[in-house]
Amino acid sequence: MATTLKQIQDQDSYQINGKTFTSRLLVGTGKYPTNESMAECLEASGTEIVTVALRRVNLDSKGEKTLLDFIDPEKYTLLPNTAGCYSAEEAIRVAHLARATGISDFVKLEVLHDEKTLLPDPIETLEATKILVKEGFTVMTYTSDDPVMAQKLEQAGAHAVMPAGSPIGSGQGVLNPNNIRIILEKLKCPVLIDAGVGSASDVAIAMELGVVAVLLNTAIAHAKDPLKMAYAMKNATEAGRLSYLAGRIPKKLYAQASTPQKDF
Amino acid sequence: MKLIVNGETKNFGQPLTLEQLIQQLGVRRETVVAEVNRKIVPMDQRGGLNLSENDQIELIQFVGGG
Repeated sequence: MATTLKQIQDQDSYQINGKTFTSRLLVGTGKYPTNESMAECLEASGTEIVTVALRRVNLDSKGEKTLLDFIDPEKYTLLPNTAGCYSAEEAIRVAHLARATGISDFVKLEVLHDEKTLLPDPIETLEATKILVKEGFTVMTYTSDDPVMAQKLEQAGAHAVMPAGSPIGSGQGVLNPNNIRIILEKLKCPVLIDAGVGSASDVAIAMELGVVAVLLNTAIAHAKDPLKMAYAMKNATEAGRLSYLAGRIPKKLYAQASTPQKDF
Repeated sequence: MKLIVNGETKNFGQPLTLEQLIQQLGVRRETVVAEVNRKIVPMDQRGGLNLSENDQIELIQFVGGG
């Protein structure tokens, strides 16, 4: 039965560890010109899940507004990250601190190898995934686009596996779509592209591959006009998703006329 | 008493509970997570926790991140 426009406009949803989401764009909260600009961008992006980080309180900033004055945890699911952690032990400590806020038991697990590449350390990442899953966290694991590693993370119980399109903050887009395709073929859990997208077309391409969602931060926060880019990203995510569902035509070598042959 | 708060050594006139320390520092209690000597102290236990000389306290909160 053909779908109606109304059905298409009612966005399809997906679940992460039993929690349902409709927006397929996850947005980070770092590096915006101001907190006010960040809040506007989150709104424009239509996101439902926002990443946050944990850092020491600045003891010299008594009474200053904090991030949570600009993000309503009732409206957004907070996804605390373990950015800046270089071992499973450190990442687990940060996850425990995040959960102790009582706001979220989601964790974006990110265990890095070195500061220059910000590539994940696969061994530490796998170890931390196993432990945090056992401890009852909803674990969304950042990884490289290696299909073998992605499968190991799923086997370890990750609730979502999030391969990088390209290095964090690099804006290079999805560099190896074939690896993403293999990951999608092998995994049953939600697969998200996390990191590396630079523009709306990058997001659309990622979504057309069939990932459930895209997570980004710098592409919006460092755009010349973050608010416009946030809105562009929302539209690109939806366009890419629909294009994936609609099914593209095969690429052909020769032309095929769109107009019937002349018959007069 | 001497305490190490977020890596800085600080001196206080009288003994403090963790709750009192957070108040004295002017930190917003509801948005902060506290660790004493690397152990997380749940919010409802801060008032009953008497700090000791040289305790290492970490006060952590959410900030922007990707």
